[in-house]
Amino acid sequence: MIFSRALGNTLRALLERDPRVILLGEDIADPYGGAFKVTRGLSTDFPDRVRTTPVSEAAITGIAAGLALEGFRPIVEVMFCDFTTLCFDQVLNHIAKYGAMYDHQVECPVILRTPAGGGRGYGPTHSQSLEKHFLGIPHLRVVAASLYLDPLTVFSQLLSQSEPVLYVEHKLLYPLSMVDAGGDDSPELLFGLDSGECGLPTVTISAVPRRECTVTVFAYGYGAVQAANAAWDLAIEEEIFAEILVPAQIAPVDWGPLERSVAVTRSLVTVEEGTAGWGWGSEVAAQVSRRFFGSLRRPVESVASARDVIPAARHLEQQRIPGAEAIAQAIREAAR
Amino acid sequence: MRPVIVPTADVNSETCTIVRWLSADGALVRPDDLVVEVETSKAVLDVPAGGEGLLLRAAREGEEVPMGGTVAYLFPDRVSLEEFRERLEHERQQALEMAAKGATRGPRASRKARELATRHGVDLAALAKTGLITTQDVEAAIRRTAPVDPAPALSPLPAGQGVERILVLGGGLGATQVLDILGGNPARRAVAILDDNRELWGRDVGGVPVVGGRERIAGLYRDGEIDAGIVSISTSIRVRKMFRELCRDLGVPMTNAIDRTAKIGADVRLGMGNVICAFCHLGVGAVVGDNNFLSAYNSFDHHCVLGSDISTGPSCVASGCVEIGSRVRMGTGIFIEPYLKIGDDVQIASGAVILQSVPAGHTLKLRIGHTVLVPPKSS
Repeated sequence: MIFSRALGNTLRALLERDPRVILLGEDIADPYGGAFKVTRGLSTDFPDRVRTTPVSEAAITGIAAGLALEGFRPIVEVMFCDFTTLCFDQVLNHIAKYGAMYDHQVECPVILRTPAGGGRGYGPTHSQSLEKHFLGIPHLRVVAASLYLDPLTVFSQLLSQSEPVLYVEHKLLYPLSMVDAGGDDSPELLFGLDSGECGLPTVTISAVPRRECTVTVFAYGYGAVQAANAAWDLAIEEEIFAEILVPAQIAPVDWGPLERSVAVTRSLVTVEEGTAGWGWGSEVAAQVSRRFFGSLRRPVESVASARDVIPAARHLEQQRIPGAEAIAQAIREAAR
Repeated sequence: MRPVIVPTADVNSETCTIVRWLSADGALVRPDDLVVEVETSKAVLDVPAGGEGLLLRAAREGEEVPMGGTVAYLFPDRVSLEEFRERLEHERQQALEMAAKGATRGPRASRKARELATRHGVDLAALAKTGLITTQDVEAAIRRTAPVDPAPALSPLPAGQGVERILVLGGGLGATQVLDILGGNPARRAVAILDDNRELWGRDVGGVPVVGGRERIAGLYRDGEIDAGIVSISTSIRVRKMFRELCRDLGVPMTNAIDRTAKIGADVRLGMGNVICAFCHLGVGAVVGDNNFLSAYNSFDHHCVLGSDISTGPSCVASGCVEIGSRVRMGTGIFIEPYLKIGDDVQIASGAVILQSVPAGHTLKLRIGHTVLVPPKSS
């Protein structure tokens, strides 16, 4: 099953079993069913709880905050990650703060879903990965969509607790098939789950057992797919063995699974599609360098997008965002 | 014949799935007739024929086709349609056969591992392993299946009465150094070399034959063909230690190989199994354990104490009263101040000048003292 359908089914299941769940977003109602068709069919079956809104991200997010304070579980679709800047004040100064500010007499468990990332030629303002600006906001969880973890598992955990969440969906994942990590779909790679401590697991992917791997790759979103493909090709063609770690939650980082891998490989590459610097990879590099001071074989390498706008022309876009070869080359260097 | 193509209306998808055919196979269609329904990640699209003719379907319901790909063909008459259908069916059969062959390629292995297995006749399917089979796995299999003593004809060199017959463990470059040290001494002779690398078996190093792997140690000693062993390997502490323990367990004595240019001071106490290369100096009262490999120009001055299984590069110099633990690995050109203690299992980078003691298990890296190559000025 492709990811967009698995996610749509997840939202349907949540609507069915939890009357507090409400979906809000621009153009999410039928017949349009959302820009990426994730909510297709849901407004027909749940007309009161799946609502198309006016074009104002700040207002939608504010309404969701109010609903959450009143005990609902709003899930907002922000049509493109690029527009989350318009929600930023609601998220930073209101949604993420309420619980702590009022000593948890109230909670504000809003979930924002948003498609992010390039690769489709959508240009400078519809292709960005802006999640780095939300990392480190106290009491906000940032979770990344993945082909390796059933979205129903993820959303069930998110609804079982009361911290607000930004759920980032790389748009290249929508048409890709979910990977049954335990099944026969992919007999090539070894999949594992490290349950960690944040409530959401980290998926481990490698061609050979961890003890034979000489580099850990920490990646999420579409970068995780590219890294997993690179790990397989490098293993077959060059006998370079990498262990890919795909965290469900990218902030706060669940360090346990990462530490267990790096303790063996003693080398780390991070992969993200946000612009380079001041971001996820920088923070991970800083923390891992501190925790493993003196025992890493080489400095942590971070692969990220160029610090520039993302052009609409495909060939220029490919020069700005991390490609398969850039990721493979970083793994090659770090595996030595 | 003209193809019916899926329009690339959806820029978010690379492929689509055939939902259902709207026109019968072989039916006459007109340009605006909708012939097939396809679904992308975003929408269901109706595909028009785009021309007039007899329709031949090229994909089945549920099948995935690329956006912009061909889903059907249009023909002006039935004869050309049938000809093309036969050709298509033939190609499809061939593709299926190829796919079936591909599926029975056997277990997953890296390209190098596959080549190695083919060369040595190793059956990859017989290797039980979680994950990809690598060259290490194949090499292990080659060692496992290797006969214990494939060439009993390989025997040590003879030696005269009263000459110590020495077995050299390891047939690499270290062996050439040990043979060079032993060469000048008529009372001692290297009579055989053992190495686990089968490709060396039957060859010789400086005229001394490589007669097999480690499994021959016990037999050669039991049969009275050797008197003592010495480890020539300097590059791996682990292997040095393994061979020393193996000899100890098998009751095979070890011997020292000390170059005649080395200066061994008064009251030096020396264990067994040490290789001491040219121009080394052990100062008065020094104590040296077993199975150490000291490269050329080492100097451990008076009252130094060395453990066992140490391996050093050339020009390692310790001042007096330095204590060095066991299994210490030292690079080239290292200086150690007096009275310092270097713990067990320490590794020291080349060029280090050691001014303080190093606790056990630590690695000493060099942060300063790198060289910079300055090209000549162009005139």
